Amino acid sequence: MIRVKFVKIVGTSLKKGTVTIKYPYEKPLITSEFRGKIEVDPAKCTGCGACTRICPPKALYLVKEGDNLVIRYFIGRCIFCAMCADICPQKAISVSHEFELATDDIASLYEDIEHDLVKCACGKAFAPKKLVNEVIEKTKLPPHLLTLCPECRRVETVKRLSFRLLGVKW
Amino acid sequence: MAMVKFLALNQKPSGIDLERAFKRLKRSVWVFHLNTGSCNGCDIEVLDVLTPYFDVERFGIKLVVSPRHADVALLTGPITIKAFPKVVRALQAIPRPRLVLAIGSCAVGGGIWFDSYSTIGGLHRVIDILKDMGIEIDRVAYVPGCPARPEAIIYGVAVLLDLLKPKVKYRRVKA
Repeated sequence: MIRVKFVKIVGTSLKKGTVTIKYPYEKPLITSEFRGKIEVDPAKCTGCGACTRICPPKALYLVKEGDNLVIRYFIGRCIFCAMCADICPQKAISVSHEFELATDDIASLYEDIEHDLVKCACGKAFAPKKLVNEVIEKTKLPPHLLTLCPECRRVETVKRLSFRLLGVKW
Repeated sequence: MAMVKFLALNQKPSGIDLERAFKRLKRSVWVFHLNTGSCNGCDIEVLDVLTPYFDVERFGIKLVVSPRHADVALLTGPITIKAFPKVVRALQAIPRPRLVLAIGSCAVGGGIWFDSYSTIGGLHRVIDILKDMGIEIDRVAYVPGCPARPEAIIYGVAVLLDLLKPKVKYRRVKA
């Protein structure tokens, strides 16, 4: 009985052939929809932080280092959902097909994008330069208001309003 | 605290020739599957690697049921606080040289639970705690992916055994 079963298997396996893929020597099956590691184009990125807000595991996050703002991408926490690529207003994030990301050093799984910050007259660094330039270009607002930090802008607005409505100059 | 003392007493004197052991390990490794609170996504990918389609037994990789027979622990999941004592016991049972392959974004960096109350936040944070408990892990490889592809796991084993150089590198660019 056992011998009969064995003979049957030989027949079917001969018909089927080899199913094992020769992975290291053969390209794996990757479709065009496959989502791998994301790639941020530093030329297009303005540092608005929309990707860091949408990222479910916070694999993309903002770190303030003195006068610089760093968008840090930690591949080890990324779930490859590509929501950052969908949300990016500048279309700076693209999804690559890279999946061979294994490493023995956790530090090599980080990627940093460094942004310069705009300095207010009071000396406080508050927003990325490229983002402020982008806003100025799109909204056509006077640049001297947009290069003020939020607190200074509030004071400036009160000053202007009081001058216009009450005629009081500070 | 009692646990730490117990482990310190159980520690064997380290008189092993690690270099020689690693040379022997390049031939074939036996793996032990260690689930530490994973969602079973990565576990199914591990199972996929062992099927005839990917067939890792052609590399000599074999799944064993006891950590005492294993060379490598395939660690999946974010290492929950509830699972941590069991992880410690399983890793302690693996003889030196002790290798760990962290599979999936949970095991590597904590995944979406990295700052949750019930997890420690991935293997890279747990390693320091294990060192304090007297459990040396000789080599670690991290395989990101949610879940990691079967090919990525095979690639991770190659990186772990030092047969390949890892592709990813730390990058800092100015925008």
